[in-house]
Amino acid sequence: MLDLTNAALRYGKHLALSGVGISIANNETVVVLGANGAGKSSLLKVLAGLVRPEPGADLTFEGKAVLGRPAHDFPELGIALVPEGRGIFGDLTVAENLQLGAHPPHARPHEKRQRDLVLDLFPRLAERQSQIARTMSGGEQQMVAIGRALMSCPKLLMLDEPSLGLAPIVTSELFLALGRISATGIAMLVVEQNVKASLAIAQRGYLMEAGRITGAGTAETLRADPAVQRAFLGAVA
Amino acid sequence: MLFSAILTGLVLGGTYALIAMGLTLQYGVARIMNLAYGDLIIAGSFGAMLLFTAAGINPLLALFIVVPSGFALSWLIYALMLQPLARRSPNRDRLEGDSILATFGLLFVIQGVALVLFGANYQSYSFLAVPIDVFGTTIAANRLLAFALAVLFGTGLWLLLTRTRFGTVIRAVAANPGSAPLVGINVDHVARLAFALGGGLAAAGGVVVSMYLTFSATMGVVFTMKALIVVIMGGVGNLLGALAAGLILGVVETLVSSFIDPGLTLAATYLIFLAVLVVRPQGLFGKPAR
Repeated sequence: MLDLTNAALRYGKHLALSGVGISIANNETVVVLGANGAGKSSLLKVLAGLVRPEPGADLTFEGKAVLGRPAHDFPELGIALVPEGRGIFGDLTVAENLQLGAHPPHARPHEKRQRDLVLDLFPRLAERQSQIARTMSGGEQQMVAIGRALMSCPKLLMLDEPSLGLAPIVTSELFLALGRISATGIAMLVVEQNVKASLAIAQRGYLMEAGRITGAGTAETLRADPAVQRAFLGAVA
Repeated sequence: MLFSAILTGLVLGGTYALIAMGLTLQYGVARIMNLAYGDLIIAGSFGAMLLFTAAGINPLLALFIVVPSGFALSWLIYALMLQPLARRSPNRDRLEGDSILATFGLLFVIQGVALVLFGANYQSYSFLAVPIDVFGTTIAANRLLAFALAVLFGTGLWLLLTRTRFGTVIRAVAANPGSAPLVGINVDHVARLAFALGGGLAAAGGVVVSMYLTFSATMGVVFTMKALIVVIMGGVGNLLGALAAGLILGVVETLVSSFIDPGLTLAATYLIFLAVLVVRPQGLFGKPAR
């Protein structure tokens, strides 16, 4: 469904991505693992159209070349990003945040159905519809951000460090919800520090280091990979 | 005497609130600090005067011509002059700085055209200048109408922003422009519409001003400054704050000019402004910066 090849990205002199390529199939959940500064967020920004990679890169989504389109076209294509730090509209209510999620024209006719789905997934949002989003807890704000992304009827949902700053119990609730979203047939690309939980919901994963893809494999192989265990799962070498 | 001054002040304050709403829309959504804003107000005043004196068109009807013209002119100004600045700005702070310089130039262009067409004299026309009795005090009917129009436009804008899908999109861009593309909002497009909407409100303010005040081609900057003060006092993007701040400013100005000295009006305005800036920099009703 999605194919990125040979993406390089530069911030001034800093090379954030170099020769990066990934692919995601229909209904698949893919996780990107890597240390801070490895380029994971930059990768998601490229895939969401927020930044343009250097010439030579190629990005196709459902067979269409989409590189160079403005970022606000991507939700209409079916690509939704929940950015790091959530990016919700803090001064607006929960209901307004969700309504805005259905802004892309293709999502408009399904607004009610998607809202029911989101409120079923996150019942707490149902009680908090008229609350100003900024005044909610971190976990609840993350629910608003994910709910808003789901309102756009995405084919691919991308999440940048969704569990960052959340309490362990809230994190496990979050991953339960992500598992349910994946079961509805939406493809997911998850960038996470919580390697154990994200490998548990993923079928495949990529390893990133210093702006490059340094490894790839199924969730089982990655879980058993000594390098992954050393770096992320706290195994003693 | 006191009641009469307060009444006059509320009318004036209503106009201040009306013009401040247009500026807060332009600044809050498009991040354009429009220094030519007051000159668009004066252009609206001249438009209403011209339609009244040359064609005998009632200012209320003139609103239907002047307001869409103000909207269209601002739309063009944004598309031709400000959009290129917005596109090349790496961030919103840079755009704010660039827009101040660009609209400072625009101020003189609009003012120059008005000077050539209408000269530098104070202008006014007589419309509904009949006294009306309000609780024992008389006030000109045109002032009451001006206040009613300010309330009407203010309510209309508030309903647009809070009760419509488009209004929610405008508030979303004001709240978090960086996230707007994530839900498919074209920020460029929304900023242009908000800027044009602000221009329409400026033109409406100009028609209202022309109904009961004298005005001149060089007076625009006074309105820009007052609108700016009201916006900052009320908190950027806060419509109710703009309303309260506008009314306060109008009443204080009128009280000072009636009971102390008309020469101190502006001094009083800036004194309040300074006090707000020092004590509550986020505005009377604004949230503290996080």
